[in-house]
Amino acid sequence: MQKLGDFKVPHFFNYPPYYTLQPVKETREKQVQLWKELILDYCRNQKIFVIGLEEDYPLFSNPVIERSLSHEARKVFLNALVAEGHAEWMDKSHKKCLILWLRIQDWAAYILNFVKENGFEDSVMTVEDIRSGIETRGTELAGIDRGVLMRALRLLEQKGKAAIFKGTSADDEGVKFSA
Amino acid sequence: MRRRPGISGLQSAAAARDQYRLVGENVAKIRTDLMKEQLATFRSQLEEFARKHKNDIRKNPTFRTQFHEMCAKVGVDPLASNKGFWAELLGIGDFYYELGVQIVEICLATRSHNGGLINLQELCSLLCQRRKTAREAVSEDDCLRAISKLKVLGSGFEVITVGKKKLVRSVPTELNKDHNEILEVAQAQGYVTVEEIEKTHSWPSGRAIDALETLLEEGLAMIDDGHRDGKRRYWFPCVAPISAALGAEGLRSSS
Repeated sequence: MQKLGDFKVPHFFNYPPYYTLQPVKETREKQVQLWKELILDYCRNQKIFVIGLEEDYPLFSNPVIERSLSHEARKVFLNALVAEGHAEWMDKSHKKCLILWLRIQDWAAYILNFVKENGFEDSVMTVEDIRSGIETRGTELAGIDRGVLMRALRLLEQKGKAAIFKGTSADDEGVKFSA
Repeated sequence: MRRRPGISGLQSAAAARDQYRLVGENVAKIRTDLMKEQLATFRSQLEEFARKHKNDIRKNPTFRTQFHEMCAKVGVDPLASNKGFWAELLGIGDFYYELGVQIVEICLATRSHNGGLINLQELCSLLCQRRKTAREAVSEDDCLRAISKLKVLGSGFEVITVGKKKLVRSVPTELNKDHNEILEVAQAQGYVTVEEIEKTHSWPSGRAIDALETLLEEGLAMIDDGHRDGKRRYWFPCVAPISAALGAEGLRSSS
């Protein structure tokens, strides 16, 4: 089984035609579906939050079968992710794409659940704690993109589930969660 | 019998013919009776055998095939009726019904990948993977039997032979001779090029493309423009199971 680092790839990754955009509608739909899932799984596994179209990722080419996805193909798949809320273009020229294997609202729910399960209601955590502290090690939150985290926290703040406040230094923001 | 001249001779001949005919009919009757008796004995012995070896028949695909062949020889079809003696004794009516349902499910699940045409070998292996928890192994022969039962129900399933392989078709797509030939060529490497088809078949230009385009439209083929030689390849998922797409290179580099 082909592996990308320690990530196990699905069978279609080793089948050459999947690297060419298919003209027939049903076949194309299947192809897009498979690549969408793979991109999300891979990014989640490798904690990749941003994909740059001009960069190379092991995900988009397979040296064993000597095939790689064209720019156009990558755009098609990323656009499909954008359409269903699992990605966002970060720039007008669509060169950088933010990958949201969990959408912002899903991240917010995840954080809330994490807080409840670990009894962190009414306690204060710094944003950095959440991103790289001991408590979040082994969870999806470890290594989360700062921008994504802040957006999720702000969503919780809007719902009255959290309060963000500035700490002693510029990058020492804290969060207090309420049950 | 010596022929005697004259009318009485003719009468004797007629009487003799009648006699022979009666004897002949008798013999035929005796033979039939004998055969019926032998058949009845054989049938009851077969039933006894089935009772005794019920578990083996259930568990062992090779044994099961041989059992079916024995049954066929005496004109017994254990699958003919789900309510019949055989079905109740062996419960194998249910076994094939269950297989049939699973086969339909697998064909539906893989249809978007292979267009409704799947290699019998691949189908069988997917079926086995699916039934890992069941204690009964499944052979290609079992698959074919289950599919033939499906056909009787008018479900549109068909087994076609292309070259050396058997493919199971679960969509009404009719394949003509040109399509079949292309599939056969594809069996070698899993794909074909227009050039290759035109060369090996001396077809006028356009004929290969037409056939390939139809196969593409039906979802039976996928295009591949990524090879460095720049030639378009048409891949056929139904002749090369996706897990075999790696070929020799895969074996070398898989870790």
